[in-house]
Amino acid sequence: MEKVGIVGYNQVKLSSDANYGRYEMIFEAVRGAIDKAGLKKKDISTVISCTNDYYDGRTISNCFTVEVGGGYMADETKVEMDGAHAVLYGLMRILSGNHKLAVVWGGSMASCFPYHATRLFETDPTWERQMALVNDVTASGFQMRAYMEKYGISAEEIAKVAVKNRKNSTKNPLALSESQNPNLTVQDVLNSDIYADPVTELMVAQPCDGVAALLLAPEQQALKITDKPVWITGVGWYQDAYYLGDRDLSTIRSMELAGRKAFDIAGIKNPKNEIDVAELFEAYAHEELILAESLGLVEKGKGPTLNTEIGGDLPINPSGGALSGNPPCATGLIRIIEAAKQLRGEANGYQVSGAKRAIASGQIGMCAQNSILYVLEKGGN
Amino acid sequence: MGRQVCCISAGYSEHASKRSDVNMPELINEAIQDCLKKVPSVSLDDIDAFANGNMPAFEGINIPELWMTDWMGARCKPLMRVTTGGTTGGTVAICGYYSVAAGIPGIDTVLAVAFEQQSQGDTSLGLASVALGEISILNTLGITYDQLNRLLSAGAAIGVAAYQATTYMSKARITEEDLARVVVQERRNAAKTWWAHLKMPNLTIEDVLDTPYVQYPLRFGMVCPASDGACAMLFTTEEKAKEWADIPVYVNGVASVANETAVLGYNGSGSAQLDPSTQLGAMRTAELAYSQAGISFPRKEIDYAELYGPFPNQTLMWSEKLGLFEETTAPKMWEAGVTNLNGELPINCSGGVNATNAIGASAMERPAEAALQIMGKASNQVPKTVHTSIGHGWGGSLNLCTLMVMADQPKRKFK
Amino acid sequence: MSEKKTYQRTEKKALEYIKKEYIKTRTLPGAWYLSSYTYKFDITHMQPFLKKLKDKKLIGNRCSGCNRIFFPPRLVCGQCLVKPDRWVDIRETANVATYAIAYLKNPDTGEIEEKPMVLVQHDGSNTCCIAQMAPNVNVKDMYINMPLKVHWKDERTGGLMDIEYYDVIEDASKDLSSKKE
Repeated sequence: MEKVGIVGYNQVKLSSDANYGRYEMIFEAVRGAIDKAGLKKKDISTVISCTNDYYDGRTISNCFTVEVGGGYMADETKVEMDGAHAVLYGLMRILSGNHKLAVVWGGSMASCFPYHATRLFETDPTWERQMALVNDVTASGFQMRAYMEKYGISAEEIAKVAVKNRKNSTKNPLALSESQNPNLTVQDVLNSDIYADPVTELMVAQPCDGVAALLLAPEQQALKITDKPVWITGVGWYQDAYYLGDRDLSTIRSMELAGRKAFDIAGIKNPKNEIDVAELFEAYAHEELILAESLGLVEKGKGPTLNTEIGGDLPINPSGGALSGNPPCATGLIRIIEAAKQLRGEANGYQVSGAKRAIASGQIGMCAQNSILYVLEKGGN
Repeated sequence: MGRQVCCISAGYSEHASKRSDVNMPELINEAIQDCLKKVPSVSLDDIDAFANGNMPAFEGINIPELWMTDWMGARCKPLMRVTTGGTTGGTVAICGYYSVAAGIPGIDTVLAVAFEQQSQGDTSLGLASVALGEISILNTLGITYDQLNRLLSAGAAIGVAAYQATTYMSKARITEEDLARVVVQERRNAAKTWWAHLKMPNLTIEDVLDTPYVQYPLRFGMVCPASDGACAMLFTTEEKAKEWADIPVYVNGVASVANETAVLGYNGSGSAQLDPSTQLGAMRTAELAYSQAGISFPRKEIDYAELYGPFPNQTLMWSEKLGLFEETTAPKMWEAGVTNLNGELPINCSGGVNATNAIGASAMERPAEAALQIMGKASNQVPKTVHTSIGHGWGGSLNLCTLMVMADQPKRKFK
Repeated sequence: MSEKKTYQRTEKKALEYIKKEYIKTRTLPGAWYLSSYTYKFDITHMQPFLKKLKDKKLIGNRCSGCNRIFFPPRLVCGQCLVKPDRWVDIRETANVATYAIAYLKNPDTGEIEEKPMVLVQHDGSNTCCIAQMAPNVNVKDMYINMPLKVHWKDERTGGLMDIEYYDVIEDASKDLSSKKE
C-alpha cells in the first residue's frame, strides 16, 4: 500500500452545551486545519464529511454544510458511520490517484438531541424496537457482564480504566470539562448512577458537542506541505453479525479481524512490542480492556495486567480516550488526531516520549459491531 | 497510484409504489441475487468488501446496514456506508469504485448496494426535514409561520426543480408540450423495462397535459413517483473482470461536485445561484469526469446516457450541461427522435427517474443501466453497439451531481 | 415560441400504469421523534442587517476574496472559505431571478389559490433570496428579470418581515426586444 500522510488537523474544544451554531463550529474546525497546514481553499480537491441524519435531526445532514466545510465546487461526499470510517474513504480517494488533498471532517452536537434514545433507532424494528429494552447502554451491560464472568474480572478493575482515562484527560486542553477529574477514585466510579448494571455513569463515554477535521495527502505532496507527516501504513475494517446473540460478547471479533488485517498490511508481527502508543475508541470503560485483548496487545482475560499509563509498557488513551468526550461521528476521528499528535510530538502535557508507531481505532454499532483500525508511523525527522 | 476498475454486473429488485411483501433486508437481497445471477462464476466468498447506502430518514431506521449484514452476505467482512441524500446511489457506486481503485491489499472485489423503501415512512416529512433547521432560522429572523408553512408545503415536494424549470423554459423558449414529450418517451421506455415502476406503454402528450399543476410549470403527470426498490453493482479489478465477465465494463471517470445550496441557502442567507439552470456544479463534474476518461467531445464520443431527471425539464437541462447537446437545443433533439431507442444518442431507455424513483437507489440505477447497455444485458437494450456510456445523478437543494463514465476499453495508464 | 400559460385545472390526477399486486407481509407502527430535537444556530452576523431594516436601509456583506456581495448577509463565503468582512449598501430595486407558482388550499375558504413564489435579486447583490409579491400582481404577467421595488411595512420590528412584499415597477427596457418574449 502506498504511503498516505496526515498533514494537518484541528479540533474544536469539546463541550457539553456549546454556545455555537453548527456552521460556526464546522467552519472553525476546517478553516483551522487548513490554516495550520499553511494551505488554501483552492488546494482542496475532495471533502468527506461524517454526520448522521438522526443525530442532527434533519435529512441529508451534510446538505447545507457544503460551503462551511470547504466543499464548494470540490468533490464532496458523506460517510454515515464513525469519523474514522470517513478517514478510510479519504484514504481510498487519495490512493486511487484522483486527488491530491482530502479534507475529512465530522461531528455533531449531542446537546441538541437525546443521544442514547436515538440509538434505539438502530435496533431491528421487528423485534428489538418493540420491546425497547435493547439500546447501546443495555447492550454494553451484556458485554461487560459476559467479559467479567468469562475471565473472572471484577468491576473494580474495570473502574480503574475509567479513573485512568479521566485523569489523563485533565492534561488534554480540548477534552470535555465535565470528564476531567484528577481525583477520581475507583469507589466514586462504582458508586455513580447505574445505567445498566454493571455499567455505571462514570464508565460511559459522555456524548457532547464537537467537530474535528483532518487533512490527507499522497506522499509527494505530504512532504512538501509539512516536515512532520504521519504516514498511514495499515488499515483494516470489518463488520460482525448484527444480533447480540450471534456474537461472543466477551471479545470484539470485528476488531480481531481488523487488527489482524491492519498489522498484516503494515508488516507488524508482534504488536505488543512494536506499537508505542494506542488511541482506542472505547465507548465504555470495559471496552478498552476487551479491545486491548482483541488486538493481541495482551493475552485474553489478562487485560487488567497491562500497564497502560503514560509511562507504562503500552500507553493506551493518553488523551483520555472517548471517556474524555464523545461527540457522535467525531470520536474516531479525534482518536486518529490524538495518535498523530503523539507521533508529531505535539501532545503537550500528555506526550508519550519517543513514540514512533501508533494505532488508532474507531467503531460503530452496538458493542462495536463494525470496527476499524489504523496503523500510523512517524514521518520526517 | 491506483488501478483500473471494472464493473461486471448490475442487478435490480422489482420497483413498486409499495413493496408490501418484503422488508428492507429482503428487498436488497433481491437486488443482490439478480446481480450475482448474471455472473455465475462469482460466489459470495469472492466478494471482499461492501458499500451500502440509502436515505435513512424515510424508513425510520438509523444506519440500517448494521441490520442487513447477513442479508448482504457481509458477516465478518469489510463494509462501509455512504449517503448523500438524493445522490446516494451514485455516491455508493463511486464508493465501490474507490474501494477497488485504492488497491488496499485484499480488497479486489466490491459489491455496492443502494436501496430505499419509501412506503415505510412519510416521504413528504422526510423531504421537508431537509430544510427544517433552516426554516426555523428564518422564523427567528422574522418570517411568520404562515409564510413558512407555505414554503414547506409547496416547496418541499418539488423544491428547486420548479425554479429550474421556469428559468430553463424561458431561456430555451419551450412550451409544456416539450416537457410532456420527454415524459411520454421515458414512460413508454419504462414499459419495456422489467424492474421499472410506472409502465405506461400507451401514454400520449395529451394525457400528461390533462393533469392539474402541482407547482407551475410542472403538472402531476410530469412528476416522478415514490418507489420502493434496490440496486446492486459489482466492481472488481481488470484481471478478475476478464476472467469472470464476457464484456468487462471499464469505469474510466468519476466525479461528484457540489455547488452552493439553491433557493433557501444556509442560515437563511439565500443563494448565489441566480439562474438555477446554470448548474456550475454539473459542469464542473462533467469536466472532471471527462478529463479522467479522456473524453474531449462528449457529443460524438458518448453512445448512451442515463440522466437523472425526476422532472422532464431536468433531463433536458442535464443533457446540455453535461455537454451532450448545445445550449437550448435539447428539446429539438427529443422532437427529432435523436434520443429514442434507435436514435444517435439514446437517453434514458430504462425510463429514467421519471418512471422509477426509489430515492436512495435511483442515482445508482443510472450507472448500472449504462453499464448493462455496454454489456448488452439491459432490459430495454439499444440495437447499436454501445462503446461509451455515462450514468448521472443529481441531489436536491445542494445540486450535487455525480457522474460515472464507462467504456468497453480502458482509457488511463496507471504507473 | 413561448406561449402564454393557460391555467386550467382538471380533476384527474393519476395516470394509469401497469401494476403488479404483491402479498402483504406483517407491518408494525413506529415514529421518528423530530419534535425532541433543538436546533442551535447563531445569527450574530445578521444583527447589523436586521437593525438597519428598521430604518428602511438595506445592507449586505462582501467577501474580499471573490468580491461577491451577499444579500441577505452570509456567514461564510464558500468559494474562498473566509468570513465576509465588509458591509455595503444595497439598493431597494430588485428583479425576479426566477419564480414558480404554487397551488395551495386556502384553509378558510377551502379553495385552491395560486400563489407566486419568487426568488429576487437586489441590484448590487450577487445572491437571491425568497420573497413575496404584492397581492395585486397577476401571475400571468410575471416573467424573468421583471423589475421590482421593496414595499416596506409601516411598523418595522427589525426582522425579515419588515420587507412586506415587492411591488412591480415600470420596466424601463420594455421597448427593447431583449426584455422578454
